[in-house]
Amino acid sequence: MKIKLTLTSLGLICLTALIVLAIAMVAIINSKVTNKLEGVLWTIPAKIYSRPLELAEGSRVNLNHLEKELKILSYEEVSGSLNSPGQYSLRGNILNIYTRGFENNESEIYKLKILNERIESIRRRDNIPIDLFELEPLAIGGVYPSHFEERLLLNSSQVPEDLKQIILAVEDRNFFNHFGISFKAILRALVRNTQAMGIQEGGSTITQQLAKSLFFSSEQTIRRKIKEAIAAVLIELHYSKDEILLAYVNDVFIAQSGRRAIHGFGSASLFFFGTTLENLSIDQKALLVGMLKGPSIYNPSRNPNRSLARRNLVLEQIRDQNLISKKEYLNLISKPIRVIQPSYRSISKYPSFSDLVVLDLRKNFKERDLRTEGLKVITNLDPVIQDLLESNLKETKKELVKKYGKRLNDLQGAALVIDSFTGEIKGTVGNIEAKISGFNRSINALRPIGSLIKPFIYLTALEEKEKYHLSTILDDSALSVDLDNGEVWEPNNFDKKFHGEVPLYLALSESYNIATTRLGMEIGYSKLNKTFDKLGIKRNIKEYPSLFVGAFELTPFEAIQAYQTIASNGFSSPLSSIRSVENENKDLSFSYPLQIEQKFRNEPIFLLKFALQQTFIDGTARGYSKNIINKWNVGGKTGTSDDQRDSWFVGYAGEYLALIWLGFDDNRKSPLTGRTGALQVWKKLMNDLDPLSLSLKQPSKVKFEWIDSADGLLSGRGCKASIQIPYIIGTEPDYLPLNRRKCRGQDISYKSKVVSKIKEVIEGKNERN
Amino acid sequence: MKGISFYLISLSLCFFISCSGLQKKELGPKDLKIEALSSSIKLLSDDMGLLKNEILKINAKKPSVQRIIVEADNFWKKGDLSNSSSLLERALRIAKNESAVYLRLSHLRLEQGLTKESSAFASRGLINKEASAWEVVLLSIYTNNN
Repeated sequence: MKIKLTLTSLGLICLTALIVLAIAMVAIINSKVTNKLEGVLWTIPAKIYSRPLELAEGSRVNLNHLEKELKILSYEEVSGSLNSPGQYSLRGNILNIYTRGFENNESEIYKLKILNERIESIRRRDNIPIDLFELEPLAIGGVYPSHFEERLLLNSSQVPEDLKQIILAVEDRNFFNHFGISFKAILRALVRNTQAMGIQEGGSTITQQLAKSLFFSSEQTIRRKIKEAIAAVLIELHYSKDEILLAYVNDVFIAQSGRRAIHGFGSASLFFFGTTLENLSIDQKALLVGMLKGPSIYNPSRNPNRSLARRNLVLEQIRDQNLISKKEYLNLISKPIRVIQPSYRSISKYPSFSDLVVLDLRKNFKERDLRTEGLKVITNLDPVIQDLLESNLKETKKELVKKYGKRLNDLQGAALVIDSFTGEIKGTVGNIEAKISGFNRSINALRPIGSLIKPFIYLTALEEKEKYHLSTILDDSALSVDLDNGEVWEPNNFDKKFHGEVPLYLALSESYNIATTRLGMEIGYSKLNKTFDKLGIKRNIKEYPSLFVGAFELTPFEAIQAYQTIASNGFSSPLSSIRSVENENKDLSFSYPLQIEQKFRNEPIFLLKFALQQTFIDGTARGYSKNIINKWNVGGKTGTSDDQRDSWFVGYAGEYLALIWLGFDDNRKSPLTGRTGALQVWKKLMNDLDPLSLSLKQPSKVKFEWIDSADGLLSGRGCKASIQIPYIIGTEPDYLPLNRRKCRGQDISYKSKVVSKIKEVIEGKNERN
Repeated sequence: MKGISFYLISLSLCFFISCSGLQKKELGPKDLKIEALSSSIKLLSDDMGLLKNEILKINAKKPSVQRIIVEADNFWKKGDLSNSSSLLERALRIAKNESAVYLRLSHLRLEQGLTKESSAFASRGLINKEASAWEVVLLSIYTNNN
């Protein structure tokens, strides 16, 4: 009796324990279900895009660059007519583009007529002329949560009805009639798998497949199957069929790209076809649905043949269920598979640029929001410029290694290209191996800027128009400076020579150290500090005379910011990587408006830019033809730090300003100067970009005057060693040496000629009278 | 008689010289002082509403830019300065030499309370070679407002 009682109670205890355990298990699974479906599933990473390329009637277009951009966007060049989005053809001066469409812009065929590097006209496929259209932006990266799942959250109306039907036809025909589990499907799978002595078919419903992803495991065990089944029933209890189907569409795992897991049809559509779901054709949708059975083996990029067969099987299934006609089926199976190459594999296509974007984003968004709110970030990146910057930097390093030997094997570099006027960052590289993320030299390498400092000193001087102009004579003879610590500092020129008296513009274009040091000492630290402040340089200066020859450290990012104000004629705009940010529903929108402030008057900047152009004519960046110099309206400055540890070049051409830095991370000496190193990268880049300059007015208070390049006194076009340079009116030299009167005469203006003629007439008449 | 012909020759030559001078004269931003402008210009500079109406009449030369401007103006009229500004910046990226864009941005920034930016946009617009005399006059008002 006792035993019986004990057994009964034991049984009861065991039963109770089992019930408690089961309840606990169900509770745990329930919590996972709700957490996943209301939490993790909706954590959408921020997606980062390049700027969309705008093609406007009448705008200048470089056909090579446009084709390059189309290639970057995975457009396919075809010789015949365009029959699907993502294709283009070029015949003579006619470029046809079949865009994929993006958000509000629908897929369309555009016919561009290009004449003399300009878009003469744009017509749609219905032959209606239009003046502007946009190419879709390039996805360049994201801000991912720790699980690296990429999603694009769609609402019910954004999921095409035919896609839902294809999914149900292939994955779960009985979806609307079961409660999460389909015993019929399980039995059918059991029979087939037993017959085949292995796993051949799954009996999972869509709800079970959704539940499966809760456990982040692909193991096929009875225990997991039971958990899945419980979860599936719980999901059905909590959510409606439509909600479950939507969650499936948004969550199902479709592909892996490096560390990124592509979840959901929305992101898969962008990943494989470069466009949003509503622009996909039936065969493309069938391809994606077909991948669900085996995301890896049916990946169209890796296994195109298997993927094609699987897609056709899906098409066959939907034909059998009368979702498409036989004719449509035959037409669809004849279509080849066309998918784009993923623009990037892991986190970012352009790691250095993404660093800048994330830094900018963090100023306005919380980290959690960036990783979960599905923000769409449109940046200023120009993928063509970025690619050219990366390739030219790498190419130049190769050439330098060939020229100077293995000692340059570890040479590193950083570079930035911006729009001079707006400060928009078009591209950046923080590592010569541009695809490697890590230490980003463009924002983190703090290096002595060498002669890059000189224009700041000369600009400070030129702002004092009563005291300095471009032909002010500076002293470039030997100089000894007594330092506060009792030592004597003697600056030297790069060529180890003294040049005596030199005009100011020449001292800058030839980058003379001694003349510049004297000028800097005359101006004083206080005024220079004010200029630094206006140029946006926030670092404090140390009051040593070596400052004037560049013993001052800046990052490439800070240095190009300072030059932006110069390149933009005195108008300062903070460098910006982002254009706009908005969330999926567009109820959160954040724009980064263009900021501009005039920091310097036009006149001193005009004079400074003249001297910086001389750098290209006969200074440290010489070697360009006059045509190019005028076409680009180019100007710039080389920089070399002590012992050639840093090679810099910063220069503007047309609408772009680019800065290049080359050097070693361990700060060792290099054989490179600014001219032999960084300038070579800049040259290649600008040759590729071939920018056009904006046509701007000369300031009304500036006039050009011929002077003698040696003594800075008045001269003329016909005189030897003369040069025409700009002056702020009233500051030009007024003394014309006697021996130059004759040769200056050739330079008199049309107006002066008429005045002389009147004088001649009057004098002649008087004589005759 | 000889005296009269000499006088006439001199007069016609002087006229010729002054005309050639006028043709070559370009208006610069600092050539214009509000005090020196006509009363109607003064009225414009004193009445922001009137000035805005005048700005809205200035069209861009490029059709694509003009289309964006029309869209921006619609937002502006509804008081949506942010969207209007974004569109004008888009127009600026397409063409950096359209005075119609600089004028709008100058006025819009003024409405946003950004006086320095307003003046900077106007000053920047003034160095564009393509600006017409009337556009120069209007832009100059904003540089003087700062």
